[in-house]
Amino acid sequence: MSTNKNELNVLTAADMTAAQLELEADAVIIGSGAGGGINAYELAKAGKKVIVLEAGPYVPSEKFTEMMAVSMATMYEGEGAQSNTDGDITVLQGRCVGGSTVVNAALCFRTPDYYLKKWAKEYGLTNLTPEVMLPYFEKVEKNLGITEVKGHETSVGAEYIKKGMQKLDMPIGLARRNIRDCAITGFCFAGCKTDRKQSMMVTYLPWACNHGAVIYADTKVTRINTSNGKASGVSAEVIDPKTNKVKTRMVVKAPIVVLAAGPTGSPLLLQQSGLANSSGQVGKNFACHPSLSVTAMFDKKLNDFHGATHSLFDDSHTLPEDGGWIQLNAVQDPVEASFMAEPGTGKPYVRYMQNYPNSTRLITLIHDKNVGEVTLENGYKEIRYQVDDEDFEAMKKGLKDNARILFAAGAKYLYLPTSDKQRINAVGEIDSVIDALKNEPARYRYTSFHPQGTCRMGADKSKTVVNPYGETHDVKKLYVVDASLLPTSIGYNPSETVYALASYIADHINEANPS
Amino acid sequence: MSHINNQRRQFLKLATAITATVMSCSSMQVMAGILTDENKMDATEQAVFKKMLAIALPTEGTTLVNPATLPVIPTIEGALLAGMPPHIRKGLRQGIYYFNQSAEKAFGKPFSQLSDHDATSFVDQWAASDAAPHRALSMGIKKLTVLAYWAIPTTWAPLNYDGPVSDKWGLKKRGVTPEPQA
Repeated sequence: MSTNKNELNVLTAADMTAAQLELEADAVIIGSGAGGGINAYELAKAGKKVIVLEAGPYVPSEKFTEMMAVSMATMYEGEGAQSNTDGDITVLQGRCVGGSTVVNAALCFRTPDYYLKKWAKEYGLTNLTPEVMLPYFEKVEKNLGITEVKGHETSVGAEYIKKGMQKLDMPIGLARRNIRDCAITGFCFAGCKTDRKQSMMVTYLPWACNHGAVIYADTKVTRINTSNGKASGVSAEVIDPKTNKVKTRMVVKAPIVVLAAGPTGSPLLLQQSGLANSSGQVGKNFACHPSLSVTAMFDKKLNDFHGATHSLFDDSHTLPEDGGWIQLNAVQDPVEASFMAEPGTGKPYVRYMQNYPNSTRLITLIHDKNVGEVTLENGYKEIRYQVDDEDFEAMKKGLKDNARILFAAGAKYLYLPTSDKQRINAVGEIDSVIDALKNEPARYRYTSFHPQGTCRMGADKSKTVVNPYGETHDVKKLYVVDASLLPTSIGYNPSETVYALASYIADHINEANPS
Repeated sequence: MSHINNQRRQFLKLATAITATVMSCSSMQVMAGILTDENKMDATEQAVFKKMLAIALPTEGTTLVNPATLPVIPTIEGALLAGMPPHIRKGLRQGIYYFNQSAEKAFGKPFSQLSDHDATSFVDQWAASDAAPHRALSMGIKKLTVLAYWAIPTTWAPLNYDGPVSDKWGLKKRGVTPEPQA
């Protein structure tokens, strides 16, 4: 069934009238973000009847406010408050139709060959060669308009940072983003109000609907159902967001179940369902690319409010043997700036915020070890993760580089994102201040945009959850297509990796399950 | 000894829970759901946040908007606390009480009753403390307070920050991208 309306076909809790609903489909997809959206389209286009279930709300872009506070509350997992157990790493994920693709920075990197080769050698993913993956990268890049940031799209802060990098003879990476006709508002994290960012909401999901897919928002899957070792569908609840109560209990019967609930949601659903965990690895191996943002204060107003959210990067140290960190510039609104530095309580803080127009920031993000775990405790999600000591040393080296760039860019002094005041006043202080930092909980203001690794992909069913083609080792016709798959942290923004892997797995689902 | 160890373990467990609770509220969890009676602030919590607001944003003599003229406390309550799951809300309350009472040891009074000078010293001392729960509470409660202030758009003008721009700039919606054709 092809409609060519090129619009979303979304039903929300407000549309539900029945207390019970039974549906049938060829494939039910749990989650509407990168992995879910791409699979919805590829499967529907191949002739399958597809139902997409999204736990979050449907927020049409005309309702985007361009205010981070509001966006966090409406479109982020845990209303923007999802964190690790120690509470010192905010783990940001989208929770709305379109998932994280609606609220991410749109930054795209192909999976480095280094990791594809590592995954082949250490995890038996010999099928994911650079040659095999190349057409998938090319395809998603074309479909999502992934291109280098253009000169006029950059931000004031990025231009200063670029000068700093040039002074230090550092290579300058230009951000590649899935954006068409960027309006340079700088509100990627709050959702693109004018649909320039090519999120799933304006690409793969409506394209899937052209081929008959239906999306149910406000619909939380409570269990994946199986029969004779094969997936058979899901049980779900449509939650009324006004009352937080169940409005409709739903059962979807489908011989193919595609799990794309994200690296925290997918393992929890498998755990709740008691499925696919003969390896004991479901929820294990959590990594999240912890990042710290250094605030640079200048002696003049930059007004670094708008422009590409990320314009440039330095990835010369991103592979583990090169150090394991990446530097990214980012524009920042005053709400974020208000808690990203600790200048001291009272008048020092007021002075800091008065000088907000004079500031910019550079983020250091690290490749981290897969040392965390996502699990349920007393019915509530727990993300048990602490920054590993070796990873923290990589962070310190990255912060030193970061600080040098910012001083070379003209910064007069810097604030580190710590619990107490940590100010660097000159280049000569960088080493002594950063060398003194210790890896302690609740000491730093970490942010993670890239949870991953909790349903690890690999050939060995005793050590991994998902086989090299995305199907769980234990349950046939149950596929995982989100960042849970990644066998190791990759040090770069993983969105394009997920786009490409999801496309690759969709092809295998279609081949294994002809319509 | 085992009794002491047990008490220590219990304290550490509580401290970890408090740390996690306060810190996990530290993002922009605003504009949330309906405020239930259970989630409303009690008098102690109100007093702690009022004191924190007074010492965190002493705007007198500056161009910044006086926080006393803004609904900062109602924003914390109506936006941050509303819709908070019961276990999180309970942990937050415990954390705020612990923070308030702990000031007595060093300064002789609960945090909410300290002079602004002493309250500021207490917050900064805890921010630099060797104890993770102290750092978390100092950082977390202050963060909630300043975040609620800066989330109110009228605070932005003195910074020259112009806020949302798409409507102001007259940007047209691009709409859904056409489906790729084979």
